[in-house]
Amino acid sequence: MRKKFVFVITILLGAVLLSACAGGPVHGTTWPGLATDENMAYLADGAFVYAISLGDGREVWRYPGERNAKLVFYSTPAITPDGLIIVGSAGTDHSLFALNPNDINPETNAPAEAWKFTGAKDYWVAPPLVVNNKLFAVNSDGNLYILDLQDGKSVKDATVIELSGRLWAKPTTDGERVYITSLDHSVVAVDATTHKILWNENLGGAVPGSAVLGEDGMLYVGSLASQVERFDPATGRHEPVLDAENWVWNTPALDGDTLYFGDVDGNFYSFNTSTGSSNWNPVKPDGPITASPLVLGDSILIATESGSIYQVSKDGQSRLWSQPGGQIYTTPVQAGDLILVTPLGTEAYLYAYKQDGSPAWQPFTPEN
Amino acid sequence: MAEVWNLFISVFVNVLIWIYDVVGNNFGLAIILFTILIRIVTWPLNAQQMKGAAAMQALQTDKDWQAIQKKYAKDKEKLAQEQMRVYKEKGINPFGSCLPTLIQFPIIIALYQSIIRALASTPLDLLKLSRSISLPNVSDLIPLNSNFLWMDLGRPESVAIFGFALPTLAVIVAITTYIQAKLTMPASTTPGDQSAAMSGMMSIYMPLLLGYFALTFASGLSVYFITSNILGIVQYAMQGKANWRNLIPGFLKKK
Repeated sequence: MRKKFVFVITILLGAVLLSACAGGPVHGTTWPGLATDENMAYLADGAFVYAISLGDGREVWRYPGERNAKLVFYSTPAITPDGLIIVGSAGTDHSLFALNPNDINPETNAPAEAWKFTGAKDYWVAPPLVVNNKLFAVNSDGNLYILDLQDGKSVKDATVIELSGRLWAKPTTDGERVYITSLDHSVVAVDATTHKILWNENLGGAVPGSAVLGEDGMLYVGSLASQVERFDPATGRHEPVLDAENWVWNTPALDGDTLYFGDVDGNFYSFNTSTGSSNWNPVKPDGPITASPLVLGDSILIATESGSIYQVSKDGQSRLWSQPGGQIYTTPVQAGDLILVTPLGTEAYLYAYKQDGSPAWQPFTPEN
Repeated sequence: MAEVWNLFISVFVNVLIWIYDVVGNNFGLAIILFTILIRIVTWPLNAQQMKGAAAMQALQTDKDWQAIQKKYAKDKEKLAQEQMRVYKEKGINPFGSCLPTLIQFPIIIALYQSIIRALASTPLDLLKLSRSISLPNVSDLIPLNSNFLWMDLGRPESVAIFGFALPTLAVIVAITTYIQAKLTMPASTTPGDQSAAMSGMMSIYMPLLLGYFALTFASGLSVYFITSNILGIVQYAMQGKANWRNLIPGFLKKK
């Protein structure tokens, strides 16, 4: 009898251990998405998308009203010109939802779905790009879905452009072309009007961040090949402009002709696109950098995996600005006078700071 | 402890990715070859399992043991005591036939975590993967191609047939696990034989459990189960130790 007991317990223990590592991504298992409008922060974090008042950090609504095991959110929400919040699910339900924050169900305190797109085959990581009443949404299934926003109500059909690899970054546009980066090492340009693929170039490493358009009209892209490359947007011709010490995960930030970016070894770089040279030796804060830098007037804020935010002056002097703790992977967001930070591994989900780094309100922690 | 386990997973991940690179970026093939490697490494355990099963079978025909069974047929407690004494005298480990199977659990869990980590389905997973790899030029390989035959190895598998999603791999896992368990089960003519009872229980629960795992978890794990089971069956068959008669339910009872 004892042997049977030991046997059954061993089997159950194995099942529990295996089950424990099979959970879907919920809060704390990957980094959240954060966007803002004038009054609200929208935080996609695990089972819910939260709307949080910028005035006092209070939860205004959440979607869905009740936890749904098929829905997981960590894609940064996008906001359309008519105020809809677009966010895709990374759960087993691969829908892209358009939420109407002006139509809140009083019973569930959740916004109504203005429409939802169910044509994607895989999970959503990238936020969609809104251009002239069109939504350019890229999915982990390797497709670009172009949805017409004119209607704004009905369930959507989409024009599908088959690309390849997992598409995790928000597309970039100059109005004429849409630039898409892929984990299959490629950068693709699609004509924004005809939707034809104009060029497709390989970078030799996955590209989890977006491309950024410089003042010089060139496109800059960081990759896991530990390089930042400069592209001619018209032809796709490209060349490396700076070698990093390790993977460049984030989307570089541009300030005039200066490009700022970090790498996962924790180096922070400043590159002058006019002269083609570094402005100073890399600054080394206290941990790996996956979040994009935030240009804040005369300085730049960089968030590290060690849970710190450093302020770097434009001549390369750095100081610790704030330390919410946990691990910070999501790019800090500026909303008016506030700087919003959403770390992992902390009890609170969202921290708000004034420009001097002091807390603006009590960190947001969902009640349940 | 967590660091040791993490190191264990990192070794698995590096070996998997190295094989993946060598075989031309095919993760399914990498899992199959990795399974073969694990079978080679765990060969002594399997040999012990076969030895234990053979010793158990030999014991059933032992005249002294049969006499003891007859003598204490109505006293199960005494029979159990005598059984343990005989096991000790003959150097038989009653767990010898099932312990190697149970030891596979940490390997299964580590492999599962390695597959999930190597395929990196979330940004954080991909970042963690970068810390697990100590191979050169790995950025050329990442992200790994998770497609193999009709499967996405990072997700549970099913095949749509006439509109129904049939979990074909889960069925194959259950069947091959059942066959392997039955082939290695020692024959028993004794009602109170605990080791035979244990093996009988294993041959029912293990296919159900592994079938459930295959149904629920990433199909890469199912590829491991199926490969491992087939290798096990082939190994027993080649050594002439497979008990094919066990595959027919009720065969022994009728006999």
